[in-house]
Amino acid sequence: MTEPLITTPLRERAAQALGDRFLHEALDIATTRFIALRRDAFGDFPEGEALRDRARAIKEATLQRLDAHLETLVANIERLGGHVHFATTAEEAREIVLDIARRTGARMAVKSKSMATEEIHLNDALQAIGVTPVETDLGEYIIQLAHERPSHIIAPAIHKTKGQVAELFSRELRRPGLPADPEVLTKIAREELRQKFLTADLGITGANFAVADTGTVVLVTNEGNGRMVTSLPRVHVAVMGVEKVIPSMTDLAVFLAILAKSATGQKLSVYTTLVQGPRRPGELEGPDEFHLVLLDNGRVAQLAGPLRESLYCLRCGACLNVCPVYRQIGGHAYGYTYPGPIGILLTAMLNGPASVRDLSHASSLCGACADACPVRIDIPRMLIELRREVNVRGIAPRSERIVFKALARLLRSPTLYRLAARIGRAAQRPFVSDGRIRALPSFFGEWTKTRDLPSIAARTFQERWRDLS
Amino acid sequence: MSVSAAAGATPRVALMITCLADMFYPEVGERIVRLLRRLGVEVTLPTGQTCCGLPLFNSGYHDEAAAVAARTVTIFRDAEAVIVPSGSCAWMVKHEYPGLLRGRAEAADAERLAARTWEFSQFLVRRLGRTTFESDVEGPLAYHDSCHLLRGLHEGATPRTLLNNLSGAAVVPLPGSDECCGFGGSFSVRLPEVSTSILERKLANLEASGARCLVACDAGCLMQIRGGLARRNSPLRALHLAEVLKS
Amino acid sequence: MTSHKLGPDDGASSSRRAGARTTKAEFLARVRGEMAKTPGLFVAAPAERPAQPRQRLELLRRELSERWPQTLERFRAEFERVAGVFHRVPTASAVPAALERICRERGARRVVSWPSEELGVALAPVLGAAGIAVESMPRDVPPDAERLRIRAVIADADVGVTGADLAVAETGTLVLVAAAGRPRSTSLLPPCHVAIFDRTVLVESLEQVGLALEAWHEGPAPPERGAVINFITGPSRTADIELTLTRGVHGPKEIHALFVDGGLGLHG
Repeated sequence: MTEPLITTPLRERAAQALGDRFLHEALDIATTRFIALRRDAFGDFPEGEALRDRARAIKEATLQRLDAHLETLVANIERLGGHVHFATTAEEAREIVLDIARRTGARMAVKSKSMATEEIHLNDALQAIGVTPVETDLGEYIIQLAHERPSHIIAPAIHKTKGQVAELFSRELRRPGLPADPEVLTKIAREELRQKFLTADLGITGANFAVADTGTVVLVTNEGNGRMVTSLPRVHVAVMGVEKVIPSMTDLAVFLAILAKSATGQKLSVYTTLVQGPRRPGELEGPDEFHLVLLDNGRVAQLAGPLRESLYCLRCGACLNVCPVYRQIGGHAYGYTYPGPIGILLTAMLNGPASVRDLSHASSLCGACADACPVRIDIPRMLIELRREVNVRGIAPRSERIVFKALARLLRSPTLYRLAARIGRAAQRPFVSDGRIRALPSFFGEWTKTRDLPSIAARTFQERWRDLS
Repeated sequence: MSVSAAAGATPRVALMITCLADMFYPEVGERIVRLLRRLGVEVTLPTGQTCCGLPLFNSGYHDEAAAVAARTVTIFRDAEAVIVPSGSCAWMVKHEYPGLLRGRAEAADAERLAARTWEFSQFLVRRLGRTTFESDVEGPLAYHDSCHLLRGLHEGATPRTLLNNLSGAAVVPLPGSDECCGFGGSFSVRLPEVSTSILERKLANLEASGARCLVACDAGCLMQIRGGLARRNSPLRALHLAEVLKS
Repeated sequence: MTSHKLGPDDGASSSRRAGARTTKAEFLARVRGEMAKTPGLFVAAPAERPAQPRQRLELLRRELSERWPQTLERFRAEFERVAGVFHRVPTASAVPAALERICRERGARRVVSWPSEELGVALAPVLGAAGIAVESMPRDVPPDAERLRIRAVIADADVGVTGADLAVAETGTLVLVAAAGRPRSTSLLPPCHVAIFDRTVLVESLEQVGLALEAWHEGPAPPERGAVINFITGPSRTADIELTLTRGVHGPKEIHALFVDGGLGLHG
């Protein structure tokens, strides 16, 4: 297990999120905007569909020779003077980073946005050994000050109002009375963080890609913090899932053409930073040490597992933006590091099937996610597979399994089916008025609390057929 | 793919009525039968139908879904063409039956059934080449794309062709027409608050469209949307496409 | 088809004694073990790499030199679309005056820049005369104390002046390869970044950028090359607070592209 199992039912967490009026509005505005931006970007980009197919093929092909590409990547990074570490588990990855911090005498680490480091809960571990981690991506900086976790893969503070951010900054940064003005607040963050960049001992990032052929680690950012973190401190550590490796620079160009468009509708993010080891002898600036931590943490097992396709994920967030469930409940309600449709699959990958007992059903299987995914990951198919796993392993509640097995028996027998219609017709009588049912007991009440139900017809279609012939 | 009936031969279709239409919306089935007969199509109803098995499949009960699929495949074995009034059931048969029944005795029949199955609007437009109908429903009408028809069967055109060519009713666009209604089968009762919240968004879009009637090609969507409209005592209606085409 | 593959495989680490780290061999053995269990999901190939990228790039440059005005126009449009400021001067000798104007408009008094051999233009005389201090970055690496001083100078500068190795029309992107005399933060720390370039670095598309990257990595890297390549597409920005766009978060708030019609005489 990477993360502790969440015991409060998803339904409760979802209901709580639904009750948060500001969150509701913020999610609506943000997701609607991202959807429009993405649609416009691809609308203007006829080569986009072919590139998506190519990108998907590159990801699949890479997995088919993953060992060779990893070997090549390691050899090239070492040739450039960098170090590569291998972490089978989240704990091991944390230990590797802590060791580097201890050995280099780091007191403060600046971090560029990295879901991989969230996944392994690195910040708490750093804090525990006396190394202060400072998030520098504005959204991450905000939630770090608020002691919260990100609620969206690319826009972590989407759930906060500017008023809440102003209040937070005023309190945590001891600058009372700050206005709820994003320009002012951003400027303050810039000032506060500029000092940190210039004095930090250690820079920690994730990586969007690692190009095997050239030993290049690629960071895609908009703010410039990725560049600061990888150039100013004397040590740079990048933590990266093994599935992010790609074979060549030519492949990189394919992904760059679709990644930012999928995430924010931009043709490219403001900064794409290609890091090739520590600084060269002739360079004035740059880290003296470069480390890449290759992270397994459940990924390798999926090469031959049911979630293999989720290893193609570029972490763009497009699936979150279009998901009817995410759009209503936001990221925190999911409970784990990764929210949204892909997040459910990643949660299962990292934490096992028990963690998705409820989450695998946090979907109407509408398929909008698969449509939006730049590498065409068939998320609904894998959600159904997870539901199957949950049943087969006896994780689903026994009462539910009984109901579905009974349903299955009923649907295999036309006699039982007809009997069920007759029984239903009789049983519904006390509840029907004007052909509508407004309230039902127990399980059926879950529907009728908010919606009317049609009554079972006096004669089913099959019963009427003789009259139609 | 547009093949009209061979000259002189009367097309025959078998109707897969679907469990929801059978139990709750038999009038939709009746309208479909009358409409097809008026178009010169012979309609049969293989007996002993229950369900396509989608609810079992979506909840991860695949062995059970396969057993139901095997039965359905057998019931429809002799049909030349099968039409289905729900996009989700049509998708189940066309997309999932072959995989579910691979390696079993029914495998070949499943492939054949998948190839011969049509969703209702697809059958009218693509198979029969019929696009113009009259309507006596009070418009304006707005079309809601059900997820399995739109994304599963890649069909957004045939229902719109039929609606846009209707004489007797205006059609307006539905904002967010491709957004889910929140039904999702058991999802609607597993996470009812979320399902309702999603529905509320759909209903708000419907109100904003200025339509008097939403049209859909899926019984699940209709159950959800009608359920919401009725609970609000809304004057707006939600109808199946077959209820809008005058038979 | 039952599956038991979900969650981290505790079998992998339980066989190891506590505290011992996964070796490369162990890690790759595990990857190979899993790979062996499946052929994959479908037949797939990575992108086709060009056989002789340096040669292909040279050919491309010659082709592009015939249609550079259209490429430049497209670059300008895209650059401005991402809030870049585009300038154009007829010759290299007109560059210092243009830069002086940019500085004056912003009340900028301190400039850091790549050395003139890297830019193709000498800035100090004209700017110095206008009372604007220009610190040119050293090509050799000085001792640490001096490096720290230079870092502080860059951090305090108002404008950072660089060249560009590529200007990409499709996206309005400038590509800068770090190297001796080209410290990374000249285009990062000052609030205003000015990049001076000519037609020889124009390319049309990201696909062509991929070719350039392949070409640059064919054979050993030249000794003066640095360890980072930066793609810059507009000024630093964020929309993390209520989706309101603000510029100049950590990186520069402004980026200027200064095109020299007559060329800078840098590339053969």
